[in-house]
Amino acid sequence: MKPMVLMVGADKGGVGKTTMTRTLLDYLAAKNTLTRAFDAEHPRGTLKRFFPEITEVVDITTAADQMKMLDTLSTSEVKVSVIDIRAGLLSRTLRAFKEVGFFDLVDAGEFNFGLFHVVGPSVSSLDEISEVLPYVKGRHYFVVKNHVNDSTFFDWNPGIYKTYFATVKDAAEVNIPKLNELAYEQVELAGIPFSDFVANKAANGRPGDHSLVLRGYVRTWMNQVSEEYDRVGLLDRIYDRAEAA
Amino acid sequence: MSVSSIASTTAPRPPDAAPRSQGVRPAPRTAKPSLAGIVTSVHARTGRTLLARVLAEHFVLSGRRPLIFDTDPVEHRLQSCFPYDTIVVDLHETRDQMTLFDTLAAPSPESRVADVSHQAFRKFFRVMSESGFEAEARPNNIVPVIFYIADRNPDSYEEGRRLRDRFAQSRFVLVENAFVGAAKEVTRANPAYQALSAHEPRLAMPALAPEFAELVENPGLSLSELVRQPLALDETRPAPPDELSFRARATIRAWLIAMFREIHRVTHRAETEIGEAAGSA
Repeated sequence: MKPMVLMVGADKGGVGKTTMTRTLLDYLAAKNTLTRAFDAEHPRGTLKRFFPEITEVVDITTAADQMKMLDTLSTSEVKVSVIDIRAGLLSRTLRAFKEVGFFDLVDAGEFNFGLFHVVGPSVSSLDEISEVLPYVKGRHYFVVKNHVNDSTFFDWNPGIYKTYFATVKDAAEVNIPKLNELAYEQVELAGIPFSDFVANKAANGRPGDHSLVLRGYVRTWMNQVSEEYDRVGLLDRIYDRAEAA
Repeated sequence: MSVSSIASTTAPRPPDAAPRSQGVRPAPRTAKPSLAGIVTSVHARTGRTLLARVLAEHFVLSGRRPLIFDTDPVEHRLQSCFPYDTIVVDLHETRDQMTLFDTLAAPSPESRVADVSHQAFRKFFRVMSESGFEAEARPNNIVPVIFYIADRNPDSYEEGRRLRDRFAQSRFVLVENAFVGAAKEVTRANPAYQALSAHEPRLAMPALAPEFAELVENPGLSLSELVRQPLALDETRPAPPDELSFRARATIRAWLIAMFREIHRVTHRAETEIGEAAGSA
């Protein structure tokens, strides 16, 4: 397989971008796919809190950190790199990656690239989609509607929505369903991957004391998320299997 | 969320009541399993709360004071019978779901009784299924036993069969209450009725004449006390105002003993079978 870069971005905060990245890392781990993660929420690092062992916090605006991510792609043992882009920096990061020639290498077949674009409920989010289109044409593009904290807030005009989508041939829509609020809150407080919460582990790896009911909610929800990733053929795309075409 | 944090939902305990052990003590591996009796029916007026109450009294008489849950936040009739040992839960609230299922599955020696009303039926079993309750209860030495009361209607047997198949790791006890009456003809023709006709174990609730059934409905009447007391009370002692007649006392006692015998047969079998399975493993 080719080295794969999976970028997770949103043009504004509060759309659950890091939550989505966490589900992605859990999914890949469950599928025995070694992954490293870069947390571009420099210097705070929300993702690093949940996945300290595989996550590095980077400042994506600096050339040094861009090199840290891109120059190691071909040499790293770990073939999948997930980059959680800080809110508001998506277009800028894509532009920077283009300038350093990353997309030329993708076109040359050296690397594989996918973008998870977590969109908000407002129509301005649709404008974001048109902004990133030049970078994702012919690549793996996922529009993520994140309902994790609310199930009703998407009231887009389906007509406009379709028009946008018609222009992106290979776009796939990923829906992250709602998770029970208390369950979500408890995982946040524990600061651990969703999968560890379900397995009743504490942050130090010892047995946890998480509620049976809340673990059940998280497990059911993770299964639904996992079905979404299966449905869009994520693994086939990562391993470059024909089915994805 | 552990058991120790849920005490606030119970009624305040009077100073003379015996203290309940606090928190969760892991049961030794060789210990007798603790039963979690889930008493339910899909329709109202099937004698569900009465069975839950007699089951709880059975545990009281066996010297294992039970943890009791009432899922009817409006009427909470079971709580009226055991005000100091009952936690009333509203299954629409996540926190109450946690209180209920986390306690039901917790490793501790107490028996548990949950009265699952017909309104709470779907929600209860959905959470039970989605939380993976059965898988968690067994390693904690907890044996879930579903006491399902069928009634005269065909759908009650259909629901019963579904429930039995859905929770294969729990004991499913089919309860038939003589007070409710025999199954209708259309019910007897139903495939679910026929499928359950050979089901074991089953429990028969004997009928109790209406005038005595009314007396039993008084939540202040302790059924375990009634069994413990002498049948004929000392005639020289002034009778309390709610004193039952000899006939009432004798009839209710006989009915109770028949109930206890049925419950003992079913629960004893569940305990020993689990014990043997654990011993041979």
